[in-house]
Amino acid sequence: MMPHFFFHVRNSEGFLEDEEGEELADLDAARAVAVTAVRSIISDESKGGLIDLRGRIEVSDESGRPVLALPFSEAVSVRTGPPASDEAEPGVPQ
Amino acid sequence: MIERHLMKLRARDEVSEEEEAAIRGAVAEEREVRGDTKIIRAEEVLDISTLLLDGIACRYKDLRNGERQITELHVAGDFLDLHSFTLKRLDHEVMALTPCRLAIVPHERLRKISEDLPHLTRMYWFGTNLDAAIHREWELSLGRRIALAKTAHLFCELYVRLGLVDLADELSYRLDLTQTDLAECLGLTPVHVNRMLKELREQGLVTFRGNRVEIHDWEGLQRAAEFNPSYLYLERRAR
Repeated sequence: MMPHFFFHVRNSEGFLEDEEGEELADLDAARAVAVTAVRSIISDESKGGLIDLRGRIEVSDESGRPVLALPFSEAVSVRTGPPASDEAEPGVPQ
Repeated sequence: MIERHLMKLRARDEVSEEEEAAIRGAVAEEREVRGDTKIIRAEEVLDISTLLLDGIACRYKDLRNGERQITELHVAGDFLDLHSFTLKRLDHEVMALTPCRLAIVPHERLRKISEDLPHLTRMYWFGTNLDAAIHREWELSLGRRIALAKTAHLFCELYVRLGLVDLADELSYRLDLTQTDLAECLGLTPVHVNRMLKELREQGLVTFRGNRVEIHDWEGLQRAAEFNPSYLYLERRAR
């Protein structure tokens, strides 16, 4: 039997409980699901012109015990600063 | 239970007694399957088509990494694969999402209908055209609608389609699907679906909870979805 994880979202709009959850192999798989979920939410919200990285996903196990918290900001890399030049940044694959 | 199939047909055109008898006679057997069961496997050679008498089923395709896209939901009264009559194999899978009751219709009997009953044949042609229209509307959702709108759109579509086969009440219907099922329909993650459900609820449009959809504001839900039922070809006319 695979463990059951619940993925709750906490952000400026409050707390959104996941009542259904998903069966996943382990905590690594749960983390991957949380990362995908955050990216999906951010990409949709960005269509409305807002990127708000202040929320987080709180993962709990079957007994309701928190097992992982993923801040939205950890699911993506953000680059800001001066405009990109024509030259590639060091370390960025072409 | 074939009644829901007849209701679906009669919503769009007349079905004569002779045609009704041919439809009833085309069913070779009935079967029941549990939820989460594959009904038709892709690439399998087929000599039957399957009609959904009760339950909810879907057409879907998977990527190698396990990502699944449901391309259409089926409700009671729908043929799951009338198109296999000419295709003879499917490029996609069909599965039961809830416990389903199925009617098995041998291609041989469909061939007989196509030879003897041209009007019924045209109605079945209409049926596959209707599936294509639904696929186009889903393409629009998947490619262009924002998450809130496509979630709202699915609830609008199901309200109309279930209503045609007498499975919707006034502004509410039973829907035994999980958020994961919805996510696979909408190209979202279950967490994202949960968030959209909350937003639809808070906007006073629709609530999906405990396997029931309650529409609070039908006009508002249609507006949020840009839902126009024209693609469901609801007019009753000679086909």
